[in-house]
Amino acid sequence: MKKETIDQHDKKLDTKYQISWCPGCPNFRILEAAKLAITSLINQGYKQTDFAMATGIGCHGKIFDYLNISGFYGLHGRAIPTAIGLKLGNPNLNIIAFAGDGDTYSEGLQHFISAGKHNADIALFVHDNQSFSLTTGQPTPTSEKGFKNKIDIHGEKPTNPINPLMLALSSGITFIARANARDPQQTAKIMEQAIKHKGFAFVEIIQDCVVFNVPINNRDKNMYYLDKTPTTKEEAIKLIQEYDYNIGDGKIALGVFWQEQRPTLEDQFPQLQNIIKNKVQGWKGLKR
Amino acid sequence: MRLNIVIGGRAGQGINLVSKIVSSVLTQQGYFTFNYRDYPSIIRGGHNFNVLSISDEKIESHESTIDGIVAMDDLTMEVHKKELKKSGFIIKPDSFLEFGINLNVALAAALMKILGIKKDVLNDEIKQSIKKNVEDALKASDAGYASETTKIQLPAPHPNKIRIISGSEAIAEGAANSHIDAYIAYPMTPSTAVLQILASQQEKLGHIVFQPEGEIAVVNSALAVSFAGARTMIGTSGGGFALMNEGISLQGQSEVPLVVYLVSRPGPATGVPTYTSQGDLNLALRAGHGEFPRVVIAPGTPKEAIEKTNEAFYLSEQHGVLSIILSDKHLAESEFSLVEPINKPTKIQIKRKVPGETIIKATSYEHDDIGNTTEDADIAYKNGLKRLKKYEEIKKSCQKFEMIKIHGKKDSKNLIIGWGSTAGAIKDAIKDLDAKFLQVLYIKPLSSEIKKHIEESSNVLLIENNLTGQLGRLIREKTGISVKKRILKFDARPFHSDILKQQIIKELIS
Repeated sequence: MKKETIDQHDKKLDTKYQISWCPGCPNFRILEAAKLAITSLINQGYKQTDFAMATGIGCHGKIFDYLNISGFYGLHGRAIPTAIGLKLGNPNLNIIAFAGDGDTYSEGLQHFISAGKHNADIALFVHDNQSFSLTTGQPTPTSEKGFKNKIDIHGEKPTNPINPLMLALSSGITFIARANARDPQQTAKIMEQAIKHKGFAFVEIIQDCVVFNVPINNRDKNMYYLDKTPTTKEEAIKLIQEYDYNIGDGKIALGVFWQEQRPTLEDQFPQLQNIIKNKVQGWKGLKR
Repeated sequence: MRLNIVIGGRAGQGINLVSKIVSSVLTQQGYFTFNYRDYPSIIRGGHNFNVLSISDEKIESHESTIDGIVAMDDLTMEVHKKELKKSGFIIKPDSFLEFGINLNVALAAALMKILGIKKDVLNDEIKQSIKKNVEDALKASDAGYASETTKIQLPAPHPNKIRIISGSEAIAEGAANSHIDAYIAYPMTPSTAVLQILASQQEKLGHIVFQPEGEIAVVNSALAVSFAGARTMIGTSGGGFALMNEGISLQGQSEVPLVVYLVSRPGPATGVPTYTSQGDLNLALRAGHGEFPRVVIAPGTPKEAIEKTNEAFYLSEQHGVLSIILSDKHLAESEFSLVEPINKPTKIQIKRKVPGETIIKATSYEHDDIGNTTEDADIAYKNGLKRLKKYEEIKKSCQKFEMIKIHGKKDSKNLIIGWGSTAGAIKDAIKDLDAKFLQVLYIKPLSSEIKKHIEESSNVLLIENNLTGQLGRLIREKTGISVKKRILKFDARPFHSDILKQQIIKELIS
């Protein structure tokens, strides 16, 4: 095994790794929000060593090297099954999956849809910049119609984007939220709620791309926060659909659109309850 | 003494219960049985059959000529009549149709009478095997038993303590002996049996069984479960394993322990899904992009399956390496008589640090000592050398296990080389021949003993259940020796030991 422990970096959430995101990239703000959320939870009694992340591959994934918590830097598209594995390996860990829009809605779409069914107690944060940016700007399922790229005929995406929140709702995901990368304070609060939610929590983070998807940038003027979480799916659908992921003047609602309680994947296994009840370090700590 | 009895019928008629009752009664008395299962990919209808082979000596194969047919339908008689010896018997369904679902019990009882088994022994077994409406079953049994006379006098058996076990049950037992914590799999014939066995045992034994949305989710979640500290195994067949390839490579980079149960069937693609083949050896050896060490072990019997599964867990945890247990449909689904004791399993201890104890990272990127991503040439170079060195250490570790096994006449100059499920038919075929059989158990790493055995022999014959002789090619790669004489079978069916014996005599001895 490689990977010695890295807790010699003391208790800070920062690492010494040099950040390589583009200057001005909102990923810096998502990292800031994640650190705010985890710090707030640590202040409430959570342990830093009890967090673990799973990441996919793309610009978002670099967060793995910048955040001093345990984790598995997985394959492109596979952050969700990796996160589920971490949770089944040690249900006492607080699991965060960071993934991109290409990861979640393209390569790994089956995992996203199935996540609603499994309902493992993990939080998924999708950095949605509506572009495959690390590979220099190919269209993803959420890229806006007309997205300029070098693949589609005539250089423009001919089809409408999908609305990931609609997909989440119809997939039975038990916590659905949208956040704005440019607002780390509020995003941190949503992240904190998502981590605390018992079940699969999905936070779609609207994110600019300063290099490969400039036309979608600076949407703050259209954004507003929900006062309260909708109590019916009809209401949630109405609010989710205000924004169709194309460029326009439509309003973009932020906040929690849906939350419900259902038994989690871990709840289904009586075998896991001893690990949870006795607060041991996963299977390793279990006397069998 | 050796008997081969075909038990055939439509899918859903319950031919397996006939095999179960008969082999259970016979093994309790000390006879050995081997039950080959042949079925198409059909849930109801078609033609399913078992060949139940019976002997007073240890056997691990079935033969092509048949001493008796137990026919649950007319098609069974049609299909198998040409294989029947002149002295052979047929038990027909016609007079027992009134017993409905207990037709199989009536036919089993008729067969028991032909073999001279006492009625009370049979009835005890029926009471054991059938829980629901046992009275109806006993009525069918009475009628079946009364319909025949004893035609075959079985020789006195040895007092053996025999357990009937399939290859799948053996793999599950090996995993349980290793205190498996998590088994993750997606259904695919012929790997599904292990998924179902381990699932049925999970509450009793304490491990978890998880069926996610596909094989890609299987391998990725399994690596994470293992990283978090669980003794983890996944199971699949060739097609599912092919889907997992990127995850297999992720094991090579992340060095998280992982045991893979890969049980092959004939390809390419969907191929012949409920039949057998050794066509996926190359896949097991080469799967996954990039260059990284692995272990490939091929048990040939249930005893080996139990023991080698434990070794796979041990090596995987000890070295952070991928351990592949390579089986096939013939080993997985055939039912063997197990008589030898099982070696005491090695305890699998998780000594590595896991998340929660400390902050620790695993990654798909090339990385430095603490798991940080790197593109540095020096680190990439050093990590490459580290992977090479690790394989050398694995090779050393494997030395303490049985990597090859010699059967037959140990001083014979006629050498047969084979691996996996063909071992049973080869061992039975060479019982009275001047031949030595070298069974390869560890395919990666490959034992250096193999070269010596080849060099000491006058004639060498390769036997594989595939089209291209994949082990032969590997031996040539590792030893420079090309084994020219080959018996390769690639009709999606396993070897019959009697036909194989004639082929061996022709190729190797005459």
